[in-house]
Amino acid sequence: MLSVRNISKGFGGLRVLNRVSLEVKPQCVTGLVGPNGSGKTTLFNIISGLYPKDGGEIFFKGEKIDRLSPSARASKGLCRTFQVTKAPRKMTVLENMLLTAREQAGERVSRALFGWRKVCATEEANLERALKLLETVGLETLGNEYAANLSGGQKKLLALARALMANSELLLLDEPAAGVNPTLTVELLEVIRNLKKKGNTFFIIEHNMKVISAICDMVYVLDSGEKIAEGTPEEIQRNEKVLRAYLSGKRSDAPDQSGKGM
Amino acid sequence: MEGLIRFLVHLAIMTEIYAILSLTLNFQFGLTGLANFGHVAFFMLGAYVSTILMLVAHCPFGVAMAGAIIACGIFGLLIAIPTSRLKADYWAISTLAVAEILRKFFYNEKWIVGGGYYRGGAHGIGGIPAPLENFFSAGAYPFFYLVFAGAFLAAIYLILERLTRSPFGRVLKTIREEEVLADILGKDTATFKMKAMGISGALAGAAGALYASYLRFIGPDQFMPLVTFIVWAMIVVGGLGNMRGALLGAVVIQAFYSSTRYFKDFIPISADRLASIRMVAIGVLIVLAVLFLKEGVLKEKKRIYRSGSEEG
Repeated sequence: MLSVRNISKGFGGLRVLNRVSLEVKPQCVTGLVGPNGSGKTTLFNIISGLYPKDGGEIFFKGEKIDRLSPSARASKGLCRTFQVTKAPRKMTVLENMLLTAREQAGERVSRALFGWRKVCATEEANLERALKLLETVGLETLGNEYAANLSGGQKKLLALARALMANSELLLLDEPAAGVNPTLTVELLEVIRNLKKKGNTFFIIEHNMKVISAICDMVYVLDSGEKIAEGTPEEIQRNEKVLRAYLSGKRSDAPDQSGKGM
Repeated sequence: MEGLIRFLVHLAIMTEIYAILSLTLNFQFGLTGLANFGHVAFFMLGAYVSTILMLVAHCPFGVAMAGAIIACGIFGLLIAIPTSRLKADYWAISTLAVAEILRKFFYNEKWIVGGGYYRGGAHGIGGIPAPLENFFSAGAYPFFYLVFAGAFLAAIYLILERLTRSPFGRVLKTIREEEVLADILGKDTATFKMKAMGISGALAGAAGALYASYLRFIGPDQFMPLVTFIVWAMIVVGGLGNMRGALLGAVVIQAFYSSTRYFKDFIPISADRLASIRMVAIGVLIVLAVLFLKEGVLKEKKRIYRSGSEEG
């Protein structure tokens, strides 16, 4: 579904990504882990088109997308969330949701002026769907609240609901569970699992190994801009390099630590 | 008494014309977040295009009005192009410059249009025809024009209101609030901004054409940057992002601006000094609005939808 090949990126003299290649398979949940500053979010920014890449190629559904604008990539069915949720100050949760629906005729000036009835019908249908999705993430009572007034965790849920509203085939989630309480996290994972069954594909940045083990089919590990490992969550947790760089925090004695579960 | 009525009608017509400017600027800044400091450019372009079409090319008013609207629409699309590359503040400065350049252009240019001859200059252009002027006596015409300009204002209000409430308007609002979000959700923000400027610019052009035919005289001095700031005062005082606020602002500022002119009859103060004091007063009004009425008299309304709890 998504294929990242040899992506490199530097900011000034700092090399943030060094020839990173990875593959996100359709209808799978792929995880991306790594210590802070390892380049995970930068990679997301490059995939979604917010940063230009220095080198490499990105393919989405077999098509080369690395020269497209962020909005063109989103229109192709690639949606992302942010680590710090973008929550418009003066737009309600429902406005956020309705905004996200793709291919709205009412976004054309001519339709807005001369096809009001049809626009209203679409809005009504979208509203129906938005309310259902808000219920899924437990925000149904906050529909008419300004998004900026939500708590950090609620904003995360809104971001997820928004991503679902976009009905994208590929969802890039940047730390979807950070700041969300444990009960809700369990529900959130359930939502992701169900959507996967329905055919959505996920690519997720996450620090919490429990979350990763619970939902990921495949995990990539970044460290200082290099891909240091890939495999199933179990394989990753036994991988010596990963243990050294990320999981244990100790850089010397790796082998005998490998038995410890996360 | 008759003089007072004449003054009030004049005030109402000027308010209608300025209300078109405040509504369109509100659409640009209040809704879309595009800080246009050259809004007078649309006003000027509309006035000049309509005047030149009527006086030089001898077109009827309807054609002149259409020409003004189209020219301003195209102009709006063009000045929106740099918004995707320039940061908001730099774009704002450039719009100020563009409006001044346009003013100098009409001041200095001479060319032949449709068989006639246009010559700019400080003296301006007089004798501008007005629509249906032969059907009314000189005394009755202002009353007709009050309704005529009012019809334009009403139509423009309805168009902008509809657009604001539509999904199109929602995207514009998102551009104001969080442009990256709109981008990442698949909205081509550059195009949306061009459309917003094109439409609101075109409609602001109508105000220019109405103005030219009302005063029957236009000159470069009438389109100083000051006009832009008066329109800004209207939307800041009235309430950003609220269309009724923009109307209210137009009424308040225009009434204030026009009536203070007559204070010299009551207060022993020279006319030119009064002109400056008026500007100071409008400045003070803006400062007060910013300090004490942060969102203007009428705040942007929250859009309430049927909420989830009502569902079974």
